[in-house]
Amino acid sequence: MANTATESKGQNKKTSIFDLLKPYSKLLFALILLALLSNGINLFIPQIIAQGINEFTFHTLVFKNLLIEFFAAAFGILVFTYLQSIVQTYASERVGRDMRNQFADKISVESYRFVQKANPNKLLTNLTSDIDSVKVFVAQAVTSIISSVFVIIGASILLLVINWRLALAVLVIVPIIGAAFYFILGRMRPLFMKTRENIDWLNKIINESILGSAIIRVLNAQQPEYEKFLEANTVTMDLGFSILKVMAAFIPIISFTSNMAVLIILVLGGHFVINGSMSLGSLAAFNSYIAILIFPIMIIGFMSNVIARASAAYERIRQIMDAPSDKELGTSKKELLGNIKLTSVNVLYDGRPALKDISFEIFPKTKTAIIGPTAAGKSQILNLLTGLIKPDSGTVEYDDTDISEYDSETLHRQIGMVFQDSVMFNMSLRENIAFSDSVSDDSLHKAIETAELGDFIKTLPNGLNTIVSERGTSLSGGQKQRIMLARALALDPKILLLDDFTARVDTQTERKILKNVQDNYPNLTLISVTQKIAAVEHYDKIILLMEGEILATGTHEQLMQNSPEYVQIYNSQRSTSQYELQT
Amino acid sequence: MNYKLNTTQNENKKQKAGASTALKKLYPFLQDEKWKLIFSTIAIILSSLLSLFAPIIVAHVIDTYILTKQFSGVIKFAYILLAMFAVGAGTNYVQTRLMGAVGQRVLFKLRNAIFNKLQALPVSFFNQNKSGDLISRINNDTDNLNQFFSQSLVQFIGNIFMMVGAGIFLLTLNIKLGAATLVPAVFLLVFTQLISPWVKSMNFVSLQALGNMSAEVQESIENFKVIVAFNRRGYFRQKFYEVNNTNYLTSVKAGLANNVFNPIYTFAANIGQLIVLTYGIYLVSIGQFSIGLLISFISYVSSFYNPLRQLANLWSNFQQALASWDRISEILAMSSNLKTIQDKTHAEQSEEKDKSLLEFKGVSFAYPDGQEVLHNINFKLKKGKTYAFVGPTGGGKSTTASLMARLYDPTKGEVLLNDRDIRSYKDGTRTSKIGFILQEPLLFNGSVAENIRYSNDKLVDFSDEQLEEELDSRGLKDLIARFDNGLKTTVFASGDGISLGQKQLIAFIRAVLRNPELLILDEATANIDTVTEKLLDEVLDQLPKDTTRVIIAHRLNTIENADEIFFVNAGEIVRAGSMTEAVDMLLHNNRNS
Repeated sequence: MANTATESKGQNKKTSIFDLLKPYSKLLFALILLALLSNGINLFIPQIIAQGINEFTFHTLVFKNLLIEFFAAAFGILVFTYLQSIVQTYASERVGRDMRNQFADKISVESYRFVQKANPNKLLTNLTSDIDSVKVFVAQAVTSIISSVFVIIGASILLLVINWRLALAVLVIVPIIGAAFYFILGRMRPLFMKTRENIDWLNKIINESILGSAIIRVLNAQQPEYEKFLEANTVTMDLGFSILKVMAAFIPIISFTSNMAVLIILVLGGHFVINGSMSLGSLAAFNSYIAILIFPIMIIGFMSNVIARASAAYERIRQIMDAPSDKELGTSKKELLGNIKLTSVNVLYDGRPALKDISFEIFPKTKTAIIGPTAAGKSQILNLLTGLIKPDSGTVEYDDTDISEYDSETLHRQIGMVFQDSVMFNMSLRENIAFSDSVSDDSLHKAIETAELGDFIKTLPNGLNTIVSERGTSLSGGQKQRIMLARALALDPKILLLDDFTARVDTQTERKILKNVQDNYPNLTLISVTQKIAAVEHYDKIILLMEGEILATGTHEQLMQNSPEYVQIYNSQRSTSQYELQT
Repeated sequence: MNYKLNTTQNENKKQKAGASTALKKLYPFLQDEKWKLIFSTIAIILSSLLSLFAPIIVAHVIDTYILTKQFSGVIKFAYILLAMFAVGAGTNYVQTRLMGAVGQRVLFKLRNAIFNKLQALPVSFFNQNKSGDLISRINNDTDNLNQFFSQSLVQFIGNIFMMVGAGIFLLTLNIKLGAATLVPAVFLLVFTQLISPWVKSMNFVSLQALGNMSAEVQESIENFKVIVAFNRRGYFRQKFYEVNNTNYLTSVKAGLANNVFNPIYTFAANIGQLIVLTYGIYLVSIGQFSIGLLISFISYVSSFYNPLRQLANLWSNFQQALASWDRISEILAMSSNLKTIQDKTHAEQSEEKDKSLLEFKGVSFAYPDGQEVLHNINFKLKKGKTYAFVGPTGGGKSTTASLMARLYDPTKGEVLLNDRDIRSYKDGTRTSKIGFILQEPLLFNGSVAENIRYSNDKLVDFSDEQLEEELDSRGLKDLIARFDNGLKTTVFASGDGISLGQKQLIAFIRAVLRNPELLILDEATANIDTVTEKLLDEVLDQLPKDTTRVIIAHRLNTIENADEIFFVNAGEIVRAGSMTEAVDMLLHNNRNS
């Protein structure tokens, strides 16, 4: 999509970036009108001056009139220019805000995989500086170019009226500059594209440095981090130099060509005056109008930078906006009963199989545990059940209906998921827990009590309104896990998925919590990924997963009899299970 | 120590005459560029001179040669002008190239400086600030400065020079008329001085809002899976609309402020012309001036006011650049409170037997937002022993571990390493002695091998094969088999390419290979299955006998073999005699977290 467009260099891209202006035609119309008015009056000022001098020479000057006329013109320009700047600011900011909202709307309905593939670092650049570049384009380039074109046309007409032969000779410079402009634009756009990609790269490194701040200090790894940044920064600088080379060649061409106009007027115009085909007064007028003509030409030149940048940014934004939608299209709003069935499910990750031929069935209101060594694929099963990923083959069914047929909002309202890695938001504790908007106060408090958070919240001066810092840095691992559990429970879900929930929680708390869940949410279908057999011995079903395959399923007793791997795991934990059984 | 950057509008700091202080602080970045700046300035001055003289020459040619019909004279001066224009093109090229290059290099150095500063600041800084805002400052605010430097500055200097030149010229032509012409300019000067601080602060507020929006976006996109799984999409949109709207409103205000100069300057320019016209006509009427001169004078007036009008736009760019600089210098002005200090402890000659590796003396710790997390902690860790820290969640275990690794300094008391104040060790020495496996394993994009080698001076030059040998000699080779592609398996920092347990394995191997004297494991095996964990236990057993181990865990089998167990609860640490006693305390003690 993008590559074919670059072939038609300036023209095609210009239309597409101007496309985004269509909804704002009223504002733009007002803007152009004001610009034309102020520039139009500006074009008259030399006339007023010339007229004033002429009248004075012929003693027909009425001083007061001159004063009023000039002052009115100046004041008119002031008013229109100021109005123009207001409309310009307002229009460009509107464009920026609307674009951002649309972009956010787009990614907010897409799947998790879509966002991962689109690269979070890139999305950040898209939403911030890419859209800013487009905004600057609207604020500066659009009006400048339109006013400039108007002034060029207006001044050209005036020049042609005064002496068409000289005017034509002078106006030759306009197409020369126009051609140079398009040429430069074509050269600069790909460079700017690369620059944006580089900013993504810089974002990524900075972000990693922030997230990994603790480990970097523990490993004394500031230097390697700096070297990573240096590399990206150097590439950015080199790109900047390349762009600079192009600009540096371009600007002198523009100013030289514009100056040529002065030269042409002097030589050719002088010749015309000398041989009598043009008056001196006309030459003087020509001179003053040429100054008015040159300025907008140079503006267009400077705008090439802005346009190239905005054009590259806009293309990146459209890549996301126009990407095929990945969202779930299901419409069923059935209430879940809790029956879960996986049939011959295969999941590939980066080409290699993460889950192989997985089949199992879970009945409503039962408790199931998934046990297995590291990297067995346990988390992937839970991701499938929440619809975060799709199986590459096979089916995932809730109550005999394929998961993709469900309306995703309905589905997520009824499935509570506690992720392995803690996810906290920089908002109040209440908002972190009552995440979904369909949560009542009762559900909230029941969830908090179940997750054994009540005591902790009492110790906070602001209670539930305490703001959690970004990434939850002021909370301990166990506290974060419990908040995540409360978050899942606050939904009053039919199905609860726990991913290694008790890893960061001590035994006593774990025991209490699981009992609370049992008591407070009796109709829950529970699936728990865990390492500790002792806690799940009494579960209705245990699934043993290893390297993406199910080795065995059954109750604890059945597995003890049939699965040597299970026995091995059990034995490795036996020595301390006696402690845990004590109470 | 408060590291929080200013992100709200409640800033009441007196903003000094921004320009001069900014320039002083920017000077170190500009030092190397001195000659280039000088050459650019010369080029700019030359360009301006040429622009100034061209109309004078044209007027001269008209008066002298065209009026007298001497075409040869016209041609002669045409060649002179051509040469001037050619030189002008040359100086234009030079000035753009040089100044632009200065801009790029300053941008480069600034970004490096800020990033370096971030690396020098302690963990507290990152806890108190949002990553999106930091990214905005490093990428966006520096770019604003660059824009000003490479583009606006050239025109800025050029225009000032032209203005000054034209002003002097006007005054010499006719001092009365010249002075009258310049009157509007004086008003502009006053006006600009008054308005500029307001314009700058509007820009500053707008940049803050951008930083905040950046932070919001960053957080949401990073945690997108929770947004999806919890039907948070609507809420995400809502919150985004809010920050976007705030950004919009502040940007509009800034835009209006920035655009105040242009119309006013244009008005002043036109009034200037009006003054020349009317006063000039008056002077002619009383015989002090001639019409011909008046006509020339009028055309020279535009040589003064055109650059002045251009300055209007450049001045608002300048205010934006200053506002950006404020945000950048805020970071650069910060300094870490975790400095290396002189060793003031008197290293007592304790007996070899009693020599402690690590000691906490009356340590208390509170986070900047107030709550004291540890109260008066005292304990000694001896060489070669294994210590377990257990206790309910939130009791202070991880905080204690963080203090051991000097990620923070205690608010009261001392931490001694080998009988010396831990603060007296250089970072390199300290981190080689103390290994820390964090709760949440953090890896970087790259292969497993690269992550293991990360920041390890000994291993950094090892090839994958050499690394494998090293792993083999430490009994770690089997663990690599857990990865599909062994050492070459790709790791992504975020995303689900490899499991959490696998990440912990890598973190484990990475820490062990550094041969620390003290190894702290903060729930390092929480997400690892018990079978693999046993393997890791064996690895730990193979560590040198005098390696001290500190284990924080919830799993009782992990701490089974500890020499001593500490019970951490509500910020206090108590020794538990035996395993049974520890379990008892765990199961029955009240806790407040």
